[in-house]
This record gives sequence, C-alpha cells and structure tokens, in this order.
Amino acid sequence: MLKRTLRLAALFALVLLMPGLAFAQPKEKVTISALPFISTAPIFIAKERGYFDAEGIDLDIKIFNAAQAVAVAVASGDADFGITAFTGGFFNLAGKGALKVIAAQSREEPGYNFVAYVASKKAYEAGFRSPKDFAGKSVAITTVGSSFHYNLGMLADKYNFKLDSVQMKPVQSIPNMMAALSGGQVDATILPANNALKLEEDGTGKIIGWVHEHTLWQLGALFASSKIVKEKRPLVERFVRAYQKGLADYAAAFLAKDSQGNRMIGEKALALMPALEKWVQPKPSIDTVKIAANYMDPQGRLLVKNIYDQVAWNQAQGMVDKSVKAEDFIDLSFVKGHFDVPKK
Amino acid sequence: MPEVAKNTVAFRGGGFVPGTRRWAPWLAFLVIIACWETASQLRWLPALFMPAPSEVVQALHALLVDGKLVAHIVASLKRIVSGWILGSLAGITLGFMMGIFVLARSVGLPIVSALFPIPKIALLPLFILWFGIGEPSKVATIALGVFFPTVVSAFSAVDNVPRNLIRMAQSFGLSTRMIVFKVILPGAMPGILAGFRISSSIALILVVAAEMIGADTGIGAFVLAAGNLMQIDQLIGGVVLLSLLGLGVSALLSIAEKIVLRWR
Repeated sequence: MLKRTLRLAALFALVLLMPGLAFAQPKEKVTISALPFISTAPIFIAKERGYFDAEGIDLDIKIFNAAQAVAVAVASGDADFGITAFTGGFFNLAGKGALKVIAAQSREEPGYNFVAYVASKKAYEAGFRSPKDFAGKSVAITTVGSSFHYNLGMLADKYNFKLDSVQMKPVQSIPNMMAALSGGQVDATILPANNALKLEEDGTGKIIGWVHEHTLWQLGALFASSKIVKEKRPLVERFVRAYQKGLADYAAAFLAKDSQGNRMIGEKALALMPALEKWVQPKPSIDTVKIAANYMDPQGRLLVKNIYDQVAWNQAQGMVDKSVKAEDFIDLSFVKGHFDVPKK
Repeated sequence: MPEVAKNTVAFRGGGFVPGTRRWAPWLAFLVIIACWETASQLRWLPALFMPAPSEVVQALHALLVDGKLVAHIVASLKRIVSGWILGSLAGITLGFMMGIFVLARSVGLPIVSALFPIPKIALLPLFILWFGIGEPSKVATIALGVFFPTVVSAFSAVDNVPRNLIRMAQSFGLSTRMIVFKVILPGAMPGILAGFRISSSIALILVVAAEMIGADTGIGAFVLAAGNLMQIDQLIGGVVLLSLLGLGVSALLSIAEKIVLRWR
C-alpha cells in the first residue's frame, strides 16, 4: 500500500515537473528486441521507471530467446532497436548495412566476475588448473561464432596456443554445455557465473579462472536499424538518453564497491527488483541477481577497438565476410567518450 | 441406319492413366530457378533475406574447392547410413514379430504408440549423458528416428499379407519357417519398401538434429553453423545438398523396388 502511494506521488511529481510536455505531443511508438536476461536490465529499469515515457517514447519490448533472433528482428524491420551480445552472425548482418551499433551493453571489467572457465572434475584432477592450458583439451561451446568461441580465440592469441589444437564441441545451448561437462564428455567449458557456480556446487566442475582476469572485451551493444538512425535521429538521441538513465540506476544499484573492493548490493538493488522480476526469466531472486549482475558501462561507452578486433578475428576464422567493416556499422555520435577509438 | 449412328456413344475412356514425362520435372526445376535468379538480379528479393541461386552455387563451389564439401558429405553419409541400417534392422525385426506373434503384438503396439511421438530433439541433453557427444549419440538419434516408422510399416505390411496365401501354403504342408521366408517376407516387401521411402527421408531430416551435438563436420553441422553465422548463401547451399541426397536415395530405392519386387 505504502509502495503504491509512493509511486503515485512520484508520478504526480513527474507530471508537475513537466507541465504539458508529456501531453502536448503524442508519444512515439518504438519497439526493442531483447533477451530476458539481467544484461538487458537497463532497458527494463528505464521502462518501468518511466524514463522512456519522459522522453516521449512508448516502448514495446519484444522478448526473444536467442541473440541471433534479436539481431534478425532489427534487420528485418520487426523492431527499431535491439540489445544483445556480439556474435559472428551479428557482424554478418551488420555488414549488410541493416543495423548500427550505438551504445554499449555488457563488458568484461576487472573485479567483476561474469563468465568463467570451468574444467571437468576429471580434467582438473589430471592437472588442468589454468586457462593457459586449453591446448589439446575438448571444450563445449554453444555454437560456432558464439561469444564462447571468441573467448577461446582471445585466450589462444594471448597465451600463444593454436586454436585448432582445442577440440571445439558445439552443443547449441548452455544446458547442453553443462550436461556435456557433468557427463565427462568434455574437459572444459565456458559459462556465465550462475551456471558455473551451479556446476561447482554439484561437484562436477571446477572454476579455473574468470574471463576478466585474462581478456577484457565488449560483449554486447545497443543497436538500432540503419533506417531509424538515418531518418529519426532525434528519436534515437532521446532513446539513448533514457537508456543511459537506466544504465546509471543499474550501476548505482549493482556495480558499487566498498573501500575493500567488495561489491555492495543493498537498498538500491532491492528497489530495482520488481522491474527485474517482471521481465527477467527465470524469475530472479536478489541472490541470483547478485551473482549474475555483470558490468556495464554506466554511460554506455563502447570499447571501440575491441569491436574492430572481434570483426577481424571472425574474418580470420572465415566466419564473417571479408567485406564487413566495423567503422561502417558503429555510430559513435550518440554517446560521448567511447574508449580506444581507432584513428582512421 | 442413321438412327443407329445418332445413338452411338463416343469413346469416353482414356486419361487418368499413371505415367511420367521425363522432361517435366527438369523443366519445372529450371523455370523455378530461372524465376528466382531473375528476381534476385532485379533486386525484387532483398539480398539480406534470400541469396540468388548463382550465389548459392558460388558458395558450394568455394566449399568444393577447399575440400570441405566432400568431408561434410562423407561424415553425414556415415551417420545416416549406419543409423538407418541399425534402425531399420531393429524396426523390421520387431515389426515382423508383432505381425506374426500375438503376444509380441499385444505388448509391442502400445509401447511403440507411446514412444513414437516423443520428439527426439527434446531428448538431446539426455542422449549426451547416455551416449556421449561422439558418434554414438548421432547414430542413435537417427536410428531411433528411423526405428519407429519402420516398426509400424513392417507390422502393417505383414498384417496385410493375404491370409489365403498363408492358408494355401499351410495346406501344402510348408513349415512355419518356410511360410515366413517364402510367403510373408516377399508379401510384406512392398509395404516395407514404401516404409523405407519415409524412413530414409526421416534419416535425412534428423541428420541436422543429430549434428547439433558436438559435430564440426557434416552437412547438418554445416547448415547449423551457417545459420548461426547468418551466412545465408551457405545455409541454402547446405539445404540444397540435403535435397540432392534425398533425390539420390529415392532413385536408389526405385532401383531396389524394381529388383526386389520382380515377382509382381
């Protein structure tokens, strides 16, 4: 009851603060395609807290269950915006000119556990203790060209082993990857924190390192259809503003650290739980969110050079067409202060 | 006399005779592909959604040149053939038993009916645990998919062997063994071969599902990877390969029918 009164009061205050503005112009209908994961949280938060409404945007969130589908929905014109992880398929679509990357989503950041290298119990006992030793091991990944595949590629480059020497086993989904590791079918896999910890709890897997300890990279992005970027620039600017407010709330709630460097998840995080419970699947508890909440730049700034590197790596593997150029599908003008922008 | 002529009825038979025109299917394929190519060249079909046939051919050619095409086909054929043979042998055996023995029928029919509709793809994580992610799980997926329709077709084929033929063999004093091999087996062959047409197509369909798990070569794995990477020309190329394989298998079965069913 108190909550509702507060919310009503907040709404009332909002209306008072913006006299007539919200009513003067009809809200524009905008669609975003997304995955029902914590990594989409800033969008969910901005939607539930009315940041999009305040920018005159009536946002419809379409939920998909694969990163691929999210990008395809934007390319085919079914959605105006999309937010998901980079994959080989994403770059091939982007290279056809259908979409533009405009702001950052998740990235690997020191001190924030997100994706882990997991060894099977048997391989661990046989001495597989470091991500430097992936050569000669069999590894379950979702699909060719997935982020897990790229994680291995980065390790291979950093620690000078041949990616060919790793036996990649594409098994399509995270549950299948966990089954393959538990059943002793593969020596290792690469999993998001909550799945990795689950295997360690079951005693079938052992975490031998976190990706952020070895390779830092930009996992995903907010992107828009090229059409809307070209024809409705002000709308995209308003959209990014609302997204950044969602990002700032998310960062304040889930990414803050105390003086010892431990993550603090408290009042602010609890206040955001209703928004996450409404959208994230499976329905999260504060404990699962604590583990799964990954790092996102609070202002949506991209690690630009890394995206160039990802495209080049995918091209070297023959997974992305040689004609694809990163600079053609990234639009840096919507967010200020992107990191490591390559000079032309 | 003219009155009689008035009453003669013109010959109304004819037509409705099954036959084939050898050139017709080729022409149909040619027209469809030509229309598709033209539509792509004129940009009626956006390249993002549908590649031109010429691009598909180029993608397949590139694959042929670097030798991967042959590797994919060989890997898939091994799985398809061994899975299909395993599934068919087991299926025919059980189908025959169900057709001949009352007890086998009473027990087998409800079990087959209960297990047939289970989607094999839904069981993939289980298959990983049971058979691992090597060849056995792939062959098992195909074999299981082939097994159930084969049981059903073999069972009903045996069931449809005319009883009077069996009675006649009995009255000539043939042994049960002789009846099974000389009467029931040839009599059930048309039904079983028709079942083969269905089960071989199922094997081709399932190779994509089978190669979802831990395969890096094979037509199914190739199609899946192309889909994940949005390489649409290669995706269509893989699908074309599968349908060519289907046509090849169908031609082989026609030959087999001619040989096995010569007694008709």
